[in-house]
Amino acid sequence: MPKYTTMAYNSAEEMIFGSAKYPVKYGRDFEVGGGFVYPELVPHPRPGSEETKKSLMREYERMVNDSLERAVTLGFPGIQIELEHVWQMTKNPDWGGDIAAQTRRQQEDYYRKYGLKSAIRATIADNRKPDQENIRDCKSLELALKTFETSAAGGADNLSMESVGGKEISDYCIVRQDIRGVLFGIGVLGSRDMEFMWKKIVEIANKYGVTPGGDTNCAQANVAMFMAGGMLDKSVPHTFAAVTRAIGAARTLTAYEMGAKGPTKDCAYEDPIIKAITGIPIATEGKTCACAHADLQGNLIAAVCDLWSNEAVEYHDMFGGTTPAVFTEILGYDVALMNTAIAMGKAHDLKAMLVNSDKYRDPHSFVVAPENAYLVGQALAANNTSYYNRAKAAAIKAGELILGDKKMLLSNFEREVLQKTLRDLQSFPDREQDFIDQCTALYRKAIPGFNPANYGL
Amino acid sequence: MVTATLDNVFVRYDLKKEAAEKKVAAGRDDLLQKVLTAVVDGEEENIAAVVNEALTVHDPLTVIREGLVKGMAEVSRLWDEGVYFLPQTIISSDTMLAGVDICEKKMGRPMDKKGTVVTHTAEGDIHDLGQKIVNALLRANGYEVIDLGKDVPVDDVVNAVKQYKPALVTGTALMTTTMTAFRKIANRLVHDGFEIPFIGGGGAVSLEYVTSFDLGIWGKDASQAPDMASDAVSGANWQKLREKYNG
Repeated sequence: MPKYTTMAYNSAEEMIFGSAKYPVKYGRDFEVGGGFVYPELVPHPRPGSEETKKSLMREYERMVNDSLERAVTLGFPGIQIELEHVWQMTKNPDWGGDIAAQTRRQQEDYYRKYGLKSAIRATIADNRKPDQENIRDCKSLELALKTFETSAAGGADNLSMESVGGKEISDYCIVRQDIRGVLFGIGVLGSRDMEFMWKKIVEIANKYGVTPGGDTNCAQANVAMFMAGGMLDKSVPHTFAAVTRAIGAARTLTAYEMGAKGPTKDCAYEDPIIKAITGIPIATEGKTCACAHADLQGNLIAAVCDLWSNEAVEYHDMFGGTTPAVFTEILGYDVALMNTAIAMGKAHDLKAMLVNSDKYRDPHSFVVAPENAYLVGQALAANNTSYYNRAKAAAIKAGELILGDKKMLLSNFEREVLQKTLRDLQSFPDREQDFIDQCTALYRKAIPGFNPANYGL
Repeated sequence: MVTATLDNVFVRYDLKKEAAEKKVAAGRDDLLQKVLTAVVDGEEENIAAVVNEALTVHDPLTVIREGLVKGMAEVSRLWDEGVYFLPQTIISSDTMLAGVDICEKKMGRPMDKKGTVVTHTAEGDIHDLGQKIVNALLRANGYEVIDLGKDVPVDDVVNAVKQYKPALVTGTALMTTTMTAFRKIANRLVHDGFEIPFIGGGGAVSLEYVTSFDLGIWGKDASQAPDMASDAVSGANWQKLREKYNG
């Protein structure tokens, strides 16, 4: 099934914000990756508003309107709104569909009145529980697929997901610093589940004539990254999380091999690697997602983005207006600066500034810096003979890059963790089936509920 | 005057705070020392051998108290002092519990627990890693954990509290739109006369929200769980816990 064996770009220097090899057009005169960066605003409803369909629809109506109004007020040319489903929107497919339809009507109104370009991403919630049910045939899957359909029918232009295959293994192993299980849970099982899910998502998107967007390793690599946390946190070593990110890239690539077209999901911090390999436009989030979580690559992660996002901001009042309005403003001015740099022929200067701001702040920012993302992507593509081989190659390359750059300062502890992680990776079997056999035996025993049949094994 | 250079755009505070060298407390004798060290070093594959060796001389309770529990206490200290990261603590916890299993089999009964805690992840939420960490830390500290798992309906949590009569109940949620189940659980418990501390934490769960209803105490971090359980078992009510941890 794997098929990306070469890079979309000849070098990392070619990659730049606003331009992708394969731009995507949809929505209301909205093109992503065609030489212009747009904001993607992700509003999140207040707790309690999800109690009824009526109250949730009203919440979304207000949030979306506040965002579109601020975009016009400040002269922003266009915006994408992400409807990142709270559980209730996917559990009740008509809720997700009706909110997409309502958002479309609002965007059409602003397009008609002001010419504001716009589009909608619907990100359906993956509520499958891999350690408790058959994730290839369960109610949660049925509801998710139904909600993809209602969302597409309702007005979503881009269908996306944050799928969770392999999470029962990766959760167990991330907190035990077990790279074998991380490679198995994300690189092998996660990829196999992506293959299963994205075949279905692409079919639905094609049926409704909308764009299959992308996926993210939020449920796994972001778990490692968030647990690694800031400079003083002691939950997960940062070097371990950075290697996990490279494995996450191998898994996220599967969506695009199955036919997803992008723009990718904003919280996929592996996206610079994905763009280097595929040429698909990417959405990223950095300092602008401080409303949702702290970030050690706040500027750097914008360096090659095509959509610039805020992750999720809960609806509240601020002095400057409501949060969707305020974050639309922040995102809008950020992309105005990027677009100005493009217009003035200074895009690569701005890219260099964004990268140098954070490249050596943390091993994670180091790995997703465009030049390193490109090298990790190269290792991945060159070893694309199986999900296992490519994920392992990406992980080893990420680790070697961190260890090999003297400017990437590491504590003794972090260095030792990384050296051990690399030794472990290099000791694993050459053949994917041998690795699967080894891991299946090991984690069946350690993790109650792990069912290889969930992954076609 | 500070002039910007590429070297002072940020400060690596983590490197300034490089952890102190690990020093491990001494066990009562060589055999117990081996058990203690195996726990501290997280040698899960070796724990059976050293525990069985210790059991040739010591009774199971002594091996638990003087080897396994003492080792875990060392691990807690190393984590508190910033020497250990969470993975080392979790692996040591796995190791300790594997050793306890062996001792319990030898005793023919479970070791006495300090108390019972019911844990769950909110209905609609499948993000249960925080709960799993809480479970591991509570078990390693000698508590009986009734693990209800993830995506747990309100009724199931209330029924579990009635059935097990725990000292504490915990709820984990990543999303603000799933944490709303916490209030429903608390209201039901109050209505039915079960005024026990209810710790809510995880992801976007805030102090403001959890302390907006009776019983609620906000858990900032999973590492607080053993101390909170200890306070609850010692008789502290939810108001006292809220004052201590959220005051």
